[in-house]
Amino acid sequence: MNDGPLIVQSDKTLLLEVEHPKADDCRRAIAPFAELERAPEHVHTYRVTPLGLWNARAAGHDAEQVVDALVTYSRYPVPHALLVDVAETMARYGRLQLQKHPSHGLVLSTTDRPVLEEVLRSKKVAPLVGVRVDPDTVAVHPSERGQIKQVLLKLGWPAEDLAGYVDGEAHPIALEQDGWHLRPYQRQAVEGFWHGGSGVVVLPCGAGKTLVGAAAMAEAKATTLILVTNTVSARQWKHELVRRTTLTEDEIGEYSGARKEIRPVTIATYQVMTTRRKGVYPHLEVFDSRDWGLIVYDEVHLLPAPIFRFTADLQARRRLGLTATLVREDGREGDVFSLIGPKRFDAPWKEIEAQGYIAPADCCEVRVTLTESERLAYATAEPDERYRFCATTATKRRVVEALVEQHRGDQTLVIGQYIDQLDELGEALGAPVIKGETTNLQREKLFDAFREGEISVLVVSKVANFSIDLPEAAVAIQVSGTFGSRQEEAQRLGRVLRPKADGRAAHFYSVVARDTVDQDFAAHRQRFLAEQGYAYRITDADDVLRGAGDDPVR
Amino acid sequence: MTEQTAGRTAAAPRTLAEELRARGDDALAALLRARPDLLNPVPSDLAQLAGRISTRASSLRALERLDRFTLQTAEALAAAPDGCDRRTLRALLTGTPGVPPPPGADPVDTAAVDAALPGALALLRDRALLWGPDTSLHLVRTVRELLAPTAARPGPTGLGPTLAEATAGMSPGRLQELLADAGLPATHDPVSAVAALTDLLTDRERADALVGGAPEAARAVLDRLAWGPPTGTVPDAGRPVRAEEARSPVEWLLARGLLLPAGPRTVVLPREAALHLRAGRSHRTVEAAPPGVGPTRVHEPQGVDAAAAGQAFTAVRTAEELLDLWSLTPPPVLRAGGLGVRDLRRAAAALDVPEATAAFWIELCFGAGLLASDGEADEVWAPTPAYDTWLQQPVARRWALLARTWLAATRVPGLVGTRDAKGRALVALGPDLDRTLAPGTRRAVLEQLAALAPGTAAGADALLPALRWHRPLRGGPATGEGRDLRDDLTARTLAEAELLGVTGRGALASPGRALLAGADPVPLLEPLLPRPLDHVILQPDLTAIAPGPLLTPLSQELALAADVESKGGATVYRFTPDSVRRALDAGRTAADLHDFLARHSRTPVPQPLSYLVDDVARRHGRLRVGAASAYLRCDDDSLLAEILADRRSERLRLRRLAPTVLAAQAGPEAVLERLRAMGYAPAAESPDGDIVVVRPDARRTPPRSAPAPVPDGPPAPDDVLLDAAVRAVRAGDRASTAARRAVVAGPAAAADGIRLPRTAAAETLAALQTAVLLGERVWIGYVNAEGSAGQYVVAPVKVEGGRVTAYDHARDELRTFSLHRITGVADLDEAGLDEAGGGGA
Repeated sequence: MNDGPLIVQSDKTLLLEVEHPKADDCRRAIAPFAELERAPEHVHTYRVTPLGLWNARAAGHDAEQVVDALVTYSRYPVPHALLVDVAETMARYGRLQLQKHPSHGLVLSTTDRPVLEEVLRSKKVAPLVGVRVDPDTVAVHPSERGQIKQVLLKLGWPAEDLAGYVDGEAHPIALEQDGWHLRPYQRQAVEGFWHGGSGVVVLPCGAGKTLVGAAAMAEAKATTLILVTNTVSARQWKHELVRRTTLTEDEIGEYSGARKEIRPVTIATYQVMTTRRKGVYPHLEVFDSRDWGLIVYDEVHLLPAPIFRFTADLQARRRLGLTATLVREDGREGDVFSLIGPKRFDAPWKEIEAQGYIAPADCCEVRVTLTESERLAYATAEPDERYRFCATTATKRRVVEALVEQHRGDQTLVIGQYIDQLDELGEALGAPVIKGETTNLQREKLFDAFREGEISVLVVSKVANFSIDLPEAAVAIQVSGTFGSRQEEAQRLGRVLRPKADGRAAHFYSVVARDTVDQDFAAHRQRFLAEQGYAYRITDADDVLRGAGDDPVR
Repeated sequence: MTEQTAGRTAAAPRTLAEELRARGDDALAALLRARPDLLNPVPSDLAQLAGRISTRASSLRALERLDRFTLQTAEALAAAPDGCDRRTLRALLTGTPGVPPPPGADPVDTAAVDAALPGALALLRDRALLWGPDTSLHLVRTVRELLAPTAARPGPTGLGPTLAEATAGMSPGRLQELLADAGLPATHDPVSAVAALTDLLTDRERADALVGGAPEAARAVLDRLAWGPPTGTVPDAGRPVRAEEARSPVEWLLARGLLLPAGPRTVVLPREAALHLRAGRSHRTVEAAPPGVGPTRVHEPQGVDAAAAGQAFTAVRTAEELLDLWSLTPPPVLRAGGLGVRDLRRAAAALDVPEATAAFWIELCFGAGLLASDGEADEVWAPTPAYDTWLQQPVARRWALLARTWLAATRVPGLVGTRDAKGRALVALGPDLDRTLAPGTRRAVLEQLAALAPGTAAGADALLPALRWHRPLRGGPATGEGRDLRDDLTARTLAEAELLGVTGRGALASPGRALLAGADPVPLLEPLLPRPLDHVILQPDLTAIAPGPLLTPLSQELALAADVESKGGATVYRFTPDSVRRALDAGRTAADLHDFLARHSRTPVPQPLSYLVDDVARRHGRLRVGAASAYLRCDDDSLLAEILADRRSERLRLRRLAPTVLAAQAGPEAVLERLRAMGYAPAAESPDGDIVVVRPDARRTPPRSAPAPVPDGPPAPDDVLLDAAVRAVRAGDRASTAARRAVVAGPAAAADGIRLPRTAAAETLAALQTAVLLGERVWIGYVNAEGSAGQYVVAPVKVEGGRVTAYDHARDELRTFSLHRITGVADLDEAGLDEAGGGGA
């Protein structure tokens, strides 16, 4: 028995005791192949999955290193079967390789003939391949490069893509680092990505993912297509690029519902790309309109299914995925791996917080109790109305007012799902409401005012979930959400994590109705953040209301 | 012993019994230990013992337990004439000296044969398969019959019958024709004709000339038959063919007696001819030394021990987990016996192991007597009371029971899921899983591993050649293409040893080594096991992590209040409202839980967890459901109104009895379930108004003993039994041989064939008293009450009142003789016994 910080579980999770003196070394040793699953205060949980092991192989680590890391740091003997399994899984990667062939274009070759025979016998592979060049090589139609990678991953024989990338149309881009610098982890992320060719960078909300994108563009020095979630986010990207790089407004095009510009750097929204008319996607031409040298996917965890399909055709171009979490509610992590690329960099939230790049946050769940009549009404509500009923209970209004009062002077966001509720709250708080029908012009005007401090409280619907940049939001209060969505919770918390000028902690409140589905959903939503190390306190609404009465805040 | 040796060298024994008589007690004991089947029942004398040795079943059993070289030696002896000498035997194994090795034979390591041959002969003698001195080696008749090659059964040598055997029944005229065609002069009778032909084939020069004269095609036929099988099929084998009319190569050979008819359509190459072609060798490949163990891997012995200890710990915990599971939900016993496939699958899922592994653990618990069927009307499998005792023991001791059970078990869990000869699927805990080969193979595999340097791991493929060499005939039935049961058992043994922690990383660990040697593995295992902890780490995400094994009371309490999320070196528990409610249902209060958490947490109790406990406790028991009258009562009448208004409660048919009481038409169980489904936390209430503490009873069978392994023969006799047996046989033998000496040595045999010792009454009394004093044995003649005379070898114990109490060695009991009926006493001349048996002629 050695005194390591790591405990290997039979379900292939790894428990890392963070207070252990060797914990940091151990984390570094296991990070390449194990996915951080939970990072609460004392013991972090990593998971070893085939995908993770292949990610490690793709990044140049071998089974020996993995086994060595496990054996070195494990407190108890590592089950032999697990070590064998690790070695066997890792040995599956790279037996098949996609390569360029002088006469056949793209070929799938193997170092282990039976594997090739096995996959060629699969019905799903057969239509994707062409002639058998020699016993170890088979031609692949260049347009099926993504498709075949996806299929091979599902068959458990992930292919190593050595076919390289096209350079794309060159375009001069450089970072203008005046008065700011890339943070060390951002630089590592860019390097990791660039050496790997394509892949995904995982960084917490507010850790400056846009800058990683910009730096990647500066490395590529080529025309770039950026895919983002919505128009506001597109504007944000444009703003940042103009500010941080040598690019000018004229070089950056926006391809959205409102505008259809194709420029050397084009920012397109997922929504417009996936718009479908009469069974076809009319905006697909964007992908072919230029010889793109780099494609950036913002918020990869939200990438809609059609984009995956288009991406399959873009395997010859460099692809960079950016996200705060690889957790996808639809479980398509495998597609991200095979089509965009393996994870090239990640850093736990708490680590970046410790470095001072994101603000520490105090998360608090406030439980309100329904009144007797509300409970009766709740019990009789239709099942599909239940959540809405308890989430929008009038009792929450008083709590929100008290919280806003408590944080008077701080920039405060009130976030919710239901427009009626938001309108009511806006009225009660005397604050403007941003919702779907608010025009983009109006939104930006309000955001600017909020940024300038002219408005201190803003009520927003889920349109503001993603990519809005509110530098000095110090307090967020969420009153309702999209049921149990974990990434929505992460995104909302991200709104307040930008580091504050005075280094203060951010506050994140969830107002939840007790003993209802609201409480259950909240528990589910919080799971992700709790696992990222953000511990929720739970308080009763009565305490908040009392606090507002006799304890003027700070 | 020197006396016996002297006896043997003085004159060669003429029978097996005689040779046995000449053996020392230790040698006899060794024989009986190696062949315990001879002891059932204890033979009355050596002649009977010799007879039993010669039975077919016992001989087969003994042959199965020989290694390959000893077996080859026996086979060579069987192919040689009875009573051959050691030189002849050696020539059969290594080839006739001076003759170049024949084509198709593997080279023989003569030195290895010379080194191994004395050992092989000694082993055959020790096992009483062979007797006689080196100048005249005799296989026991039955063994010879079993091993001697015949046309139908050439055996591993691939030799045919001798010329004499093959020509038995041939007409004298035909024999003379063979003689003539082989170029020999005619003889006057068939016996000398066969002898002449045999001489021709065993005389190298003349045989060379005969074979050398064969046409090429005939030579090819000979070469094909030389290494066996020695028979070939021809259209008309029995037709007498003369040399001049021979057309085909086979006919050429048939005419000269190089091939002989063995049936209407079969010809056979006589043994002498084959041996000539083989340059005198009985085996194509002689394996004098065991093959080495194949490729091995070497690990740090500490690493091996650590890995094995980790696995040993897992083994104990898995057994515990399985039996705890079946304490609460015992699976039914199938009508045909055994465990249903679905229950096996469920157990596998619960243990998070493959089904085959689950079957292994289940069988192991059964074999260890921790699990049995309860024998009730609705028969179920449940833990036995022995399980409770076992649970109280330290982990290392618990493991030792499992490991010992495994080592001796004849049940083979690997067969679960396969089908028997009748096509019935074999189920876990069901019948027909016993394989007598299993314990022997298991031990043999582990002994192979134990013979390697510590930390050396070897796979089944590496071990099997040596295993096969040591027991070539113990392969068991074939189980597939080129595989037999032993191959399967070997692979399974290695896998199971790893699962159980007898080995670690494929090498034998020190506790396993002790276990194999019959020593106590506990002191070796104990320090390797992780020390049980008394604390956990509580985390804000509502998990509790036990960074190692927990003390049993702590783990039980924790398992009550939280759900196990992952297992392994550590255990991760998750607190949920349901799990906390379960603890409250089991009678814990919120204060108990807070106290428990604070006491056992190494870190401060996180606020969300305290809140969770309070929150569940706040709601817990607010609703109370009576079992007797199925009512619902609650101090909060709006809550009842809420339930009453809830459409989901319709099925319960609730009626408001009072502002704080509802009555339900549905049974209390249904009410509880429904309310919980609706999200409430009701508590069951007793008629007295107390909260009923619900915790299911753990199921136990009546006391059960562990099933005994089904051994492959009688149990190995212990030293006491062996000693007694040898004494009994010896005494019986003395009785019979002493009697014979008297008859032979005496002046004349009595009319009834028994000559009783005759002495005067005073002499008789004196002799008996002397014998009592000196503790000697004497031979007495005795006429019993019916008037029939008998003789006994007895050790007198006391002489008084006209009666002699003596120990009768033949019958192994104390008997009383009337002094006046004793015809006479004679001394047993111990040294003279052998003369009486061996040199009496």
